[in-house]
Amino acid sequence: METGIHISIKAEELFHIGGFPVTNGVLLSFLILLLLGGGALLLRRKLALIPGMLQNLAEWVLEGILSIMDGILGSRYQSERYLPLIATLFLIVLFSNWFGLLPGVGSIVFHGEETSPLFRAPSSDLNFTLALALITVITVNILGVVAIGAGSHIKKFLNFRSPLAFFTGILEFISECARIISFSFRLFGNIFAGEVLLTVVSFLLPYVVPVPFFFLEVFVGFIQAFIFAMLALVFTGMAVQEHQHS
Amino acid sequence: MSELLQQLGIDWRLLLSQAVNFGLLLAILSFFLYKPLLQLMKEREKRIKEGLTKAEEADAHLKDAQTLKVQKLKEAEAEALTVLRQAEARAKTHEAKLLEAAKQKEAEALAQAKRLAEAEREETRRETRREAAALVKEALIKTVELNPKAVDEALIAKAVTHIYEGTRSYENTKK
Repeated sequence: METGIHISIKAEELFHIGGFPVTNGVLLSFLILLLLGGGALLLRRKLALIPGMLQNLAEWVLEGILSIMDGILGSRYQSERYLPLIATLFLIVLFSNWFGLLPGVGSIVFHGEETSPLFRAPSSDLNFTLALALITVITVNILGVVAIGAGSHIKKFLNFRSPLAFFTGILEFISECARIISFSFRLFGNIFAGEVLLTVVSFLLPYVVPVPFFFLEVFVGFIQAFIFAMLALVFTGMAVQEHQHS
Repeated sequence: MSELLQQLGIDWRLLLSQAVNFGLLLAILSFFLYKPLLQLMKEREKRIKEGLTKAEEADAHLKDAQTLKVQKLKEAEAEALTVLRQAEARAKTHEAKLLEAAKQKEAEALAQAKRLAEAEREETRRETRREAAALVKEALIKTVELNPKAVDEALIAKAVTHIYEGTRSYENTKK
């Protein structure tokens, strides 16, 4: 039995497939893909005008996301247009956060080149959060170009009409880059910190005491998923609207 | 920079794996969950709206039908009343005619009866006269047999006339 606390800021490599390494974080995110995708396929076959329990749940979640989006984007048409991106971001982040709390994640070890946990919450792996952040920022810019045209979109960053406009354009560009960092490190930091916290508490006082911390982390997991999707939504909303000329 | 990235465990291959993972999930959820589910929800909304409008229409139809029913009932009642009145009027004229005919017949019958009675009375009177004549004749024959020379036709005639008038006055008093 291993003694001491196992904390690694990196996701540990388990094995290679082709030239690609498979880490415990990638493994769990693949499992989440299987679960959500499989669930969607299963539900697709059972979709009916009179909804079953699973369909009710899915409709309730989608309806909730849509109503929040309505408030920010202004119309149901716009909301439905950007729903796939926002809802998928929310779901994948939520499940990544919560799956890190499942028993077995972190405690089941894999004996490869070195002994390491078999599963790791994807969102406590910077690769996952950075990938999502990059996808979000790039997609938001593409959506902006599609919605208002390349010219007016680029004008947000490169504007020679006045020195002030030029300066705010540069600031805008910097903030766009900063978003990638803030998106990825906010999520990674919160979830990784939560895992470290749980590991430490469980190591020091293994019984009963960790329970409130688990509740806390469930809550944090939801909040972080909500924040991630919400920010992506707000940035999308800003990108698809014409820049307001003051 | 690259050392920092390595320290944080960032690897472009891992990034790519996660990105592909997300892309796959996005595609699957879009095609198998969001699209059909949204369509379904819209369809349901449409159906419910349709149902509501249909219910309203049905209510309106029902109201129309009820007013129509009341109207028809009224019309039918009025018609029945007129028919009844006409029938009554016709019956009355018919009755009057019948009554008239009956009266006429009655009058005719009465007249006939009177005539018959008159004829009978006449017959009776004639019979009486004949009998009286015979009686007087016999009486006279008897008298003549007693006294053959004293036959006087004029006397007989006088006597017959006298008897005739006697019976007549007798009947008149009896009447």
